[in-house]
Amino acid sequence: MLSALIWLPLLGAIVISCFPSTVSSRTVRSVSLVLAIILLVWTIVLGSQFDLTATDMQFTELLPWLDTIGLNYSLGLDGLSLPLLFLNALLNVVAIAATDPEIPRSRFYYALIFVLNVGVVGAFLAQNLLLFFLFYEIEILPLYFLIAIWGGQKRGYAATKFLIYTAASGVVILAVFLGTVWFTGASSFAYDPGRSQLLPLGTQLLLLSGILLGFGIKTPFIPLHTWLPDAHVEASTPVSVLLAGVLLKLGTYGLLRFGLSMFLDAWAYLAPWLATWAAVGALYGACCAIAQQDMKKVVAYSSIAHMAFVLLATAATTRLSLIAAVAQMVSHGLISALLFLLVGVVYKKTGTRDVQVLRGLLNPERGLPLIGSLMILAAMASAGIPGMVGFIAEFMVFRSSFPIFPIQTLLCMVGTGLTAVYFLLMINRVFFGRLEDPFDKLPQVNWNDRIPALVLVAFILVLGLQPNWLVRWSESESGMLLTRMSMRTPPPVALTAKIEPARLLP
Amino acid sequence: MLSTQLDPSKHPLAAYIYQLESGQALLPDSPIHVTEVVGILKSYGVVLDAYSINLNYIADHQCLVILPFFKYFNGQVSFAKLLQHWWHDRINYEYAEYCMKGMFWHGGGGLDAYLDTPDFRQRAEVLIRDKFKTNPFMLGLHRLFPDFLPEQLRMMAYYSGLGQFWRVMSDMFLSLSDRYDAGEIKTIPDVVSHIREGLVAAASQPIVYNVQLGDRTHEIIPPSVGLTFLADTAIPYVEAIFFRGTPFPGTISYNAQAYQIPFYQQDFAYGALFADPLPIGGSGIPPTLLMQDMRHYLPDYLRELYQQSTRQEDDLRVKICETFQKSMFCVTTAAIQGLAPYPLSTTTLDEQRANRAYLENWMNRFVTSRIQEVQV
Repeated sequence: MLSALIWLPLLGAIVISCFPSTVSSRTVRSVSLVLAIILLVWTIVLGSQFDLTATDMQFTELLPWLDTIGLNYSLGLDGLSLPLLFLNALLNVVAIAATDPEIPRSRFYYALIFVLNVGVVGAFLAQNLLLFFLFYEIEILPLYFLIAIWGGQKRGYAATKFLIYTAASGVVILAVFLGTVWFTGASSFAYDPGRSQLLPLGTQLLLLSGILLGFGIKTPFIPLHTWLPDAHVEASTPVSVLLAGVLLKLGTYGLLRFGLSMFLDAWAYLAPWLATWAAVGALYGACCAIAQQDMKKVVAYSSIAHMAFVLLATAATTRLSLIAAVAQMVSHGLISALLFLLVGVVYKKTGTRDVQVLRGLLNPERGLPLIGSLMILAAMASAGIPGMVGFIAEFMVFRSSFPIFPIQTLLCMVGTGLTAVYFLLMINRVFFGRLEDPFDKLPQVNWNDRIPALVLVAFILVLGLQPNWLVRWSESESGMLLTRMSMRTPPPVALTAKIEPARLLP
Repeated sequence: MLSTQLDPSKHPLAAYIYQLESGQALLPDSPIHVTEVVGILKSYGVVLDAYSINLNYIADHQCLVILPFFKYFNGQVSFAKLLQHWWHDRINYEYAEYCMKGMFWHGGGGLDAYLDTPDFRQRAEVLIRDKFKTNPFMLGLHRLFPDFLPEQLRMMAYYSGLGQFWRVMSDMFLSLSDRYDAGEIKTIPDVVSHIREGLVAAASQPIVYNVQLGDRTHEIIPPSVGLTFLADTAIPYVEAIFFRGTPFPGTISYNAQAYQIPFYQQDFAYGALFADPLPIGGSGIPPTLLMQDMRHYLPDYLRELYQQSTRQEDDLRVKICETFQKSMFCVTTAAIQGLAPYPLSTTTLDEQRANRAYLENWMNRFVTSRIQEVQV
């Protein structure tokens, strides 16, 4: 069942790239959209058969591949990967729907989107370290091309910077995986947290540092973040949606899957520092966002700030905080994707994203009233206004982290307060005031531009009002992680004194 | 040496002065402008017809009715009409009332002057006593607050005055449209000349107001007062609605705090010639009500013209407002031509000088208007 999510998009990519050049861009887009919807439906089917009480991997698939080097085709699904898998499938549909129907070199474009999908899905499902690394590397190339070919003016610079950073990230991660196998003496790269947890603390710290560096670049955490604003600014809107919505999650997913799970002792040792790192990242991201003039950069720095909350929750390592980390990943995926979509529409219609130039776009007759209204809603969701998914995720993050790291949590809460500041500054400048020439003759916004955003809004609201549909997937998984942790080693003093796992949960 | 030629004007809007002196209008002549102006005046004529009927109905049948619940129904109250009203499938008669109140507030002309005379007060008193002869409560209130009911009656006189004014204007605009359809109107000067001739023809039409109570007729504005269409309704209307306007309720306080409201009423510039077509919550009579009404009666050729623009009918009300503003500059041109001390085509130097001074006076008032914007 899981293989379909990897092979179907790959097959789709091959078929699309083999289309004759006479096939119009619109047809290629329609075929891609249908395939993306099939993948989304398939993911929903998987979710409907997912056992919420099981603590082991589900739908596992294992095929021997290159035994001699310990590489097997091993897939599995758990409560950590399922929400991200769903997010990826949804945003894939949204990204294709938001793509310009007349995009040049359409066959190559959509083929790359599906190859990217293969890499992301494979990484979320891989149960073999080397297999994960292969999929992790696979997604770099399509993204590089997507930025370098369909990006903005400085696309070459941004794509190369992205390539260098993420390739470096891959190298570090590969080194960690090799080191893990080397130090544990394992005969294969099979994902086995039990082995790595037996390593001495010093070795674990060394390996965990590599994980933090590798996935820290991907997430990204400061000071490893500089590729992200450039990549976002130069990437086209659908690519920004995928980049912010899904690809950054590979970083935090990696931290949870390969950092926390595999090196529990070291994680517990470093947790206070990680929480501090998260607080600094949240504040730094927010302050940078306040200073930006480009709407896309505001959203990009907002992403950096909000991804830091995932690090804070992961550092706290309580049952609720781990659920919160997953919830925050999904929440951020939905909200940042919406924000990038809306900024994309503004740019498409006005030709600029400069907050010093744009004015009065909320004008009901000649502006972009629906887009402006959705932008306000997205900003509210990002700032954690109740009733939307952002509130649920951020509240859980802060509620679960505060007993463990009160100072760092408070600082992160200031960061979320600043979210309202930078988004309201942006909205005030761009959407309020008088619509001046030349923006009083903007073209119409058609439903192709509105529907993808409305779909995301629906998810943001529904999950905000019914959060159980978001958090129930990862309850068992986080419970199991915690059990494993408490069996393994006495956690740091701060943790033993204050951890009250599952206090808020049934 | 004595100059035999008129010196160039030093007015910042001199270009428009020359335009008027050469027989052109404030709006440049072009086929698209003709289509726009005639089309919008056609729909305006239809809407004015409805406004006029309602204003006259209120003046005649809702006079001194303290709670006129059904004043917009023109006497045809039915459940179906009530549903239509609630569903807002109707003409926005409120706009007509805004205009009436604007005129009432700014005053000017013979109507305003007459309503402050003892003659009016006496006629009002007779009507009030007759109207409430079986209502001691209202008579008691009238004794306590003797200015309230006469003030209501003054307002009724304005309902009637504006109703009569718009009756003429509606017919004038609809006949303009008929003449355009018949191929008689081809240029903007043709449009202006049609309006000017209409204004001149109706100039001395008497403005009277009678209220019927049972079999008794109360003459509130009798013909003997001598109020006429042009001097006592048209000119005050242009002054109040085209130029001064009103900061509409809700924004007055805010704007006053920001010192955005002129201290003197005559300095107000919120009228139709100054209004921002983009609805931004600024001051002035909310133009959206009128635009909303006009959108139902746009002729096909104007609708097709709008369809060719970038947003098609997405911003229809703004387009209507912009076109309406163009048409109002044509109406203003007709008024300027009609009121000029000498024909603007005069060749006598002294008359030209007098006309120049007259036109520069008008232009002083256009400096902050949207005259520049309507040129395209």
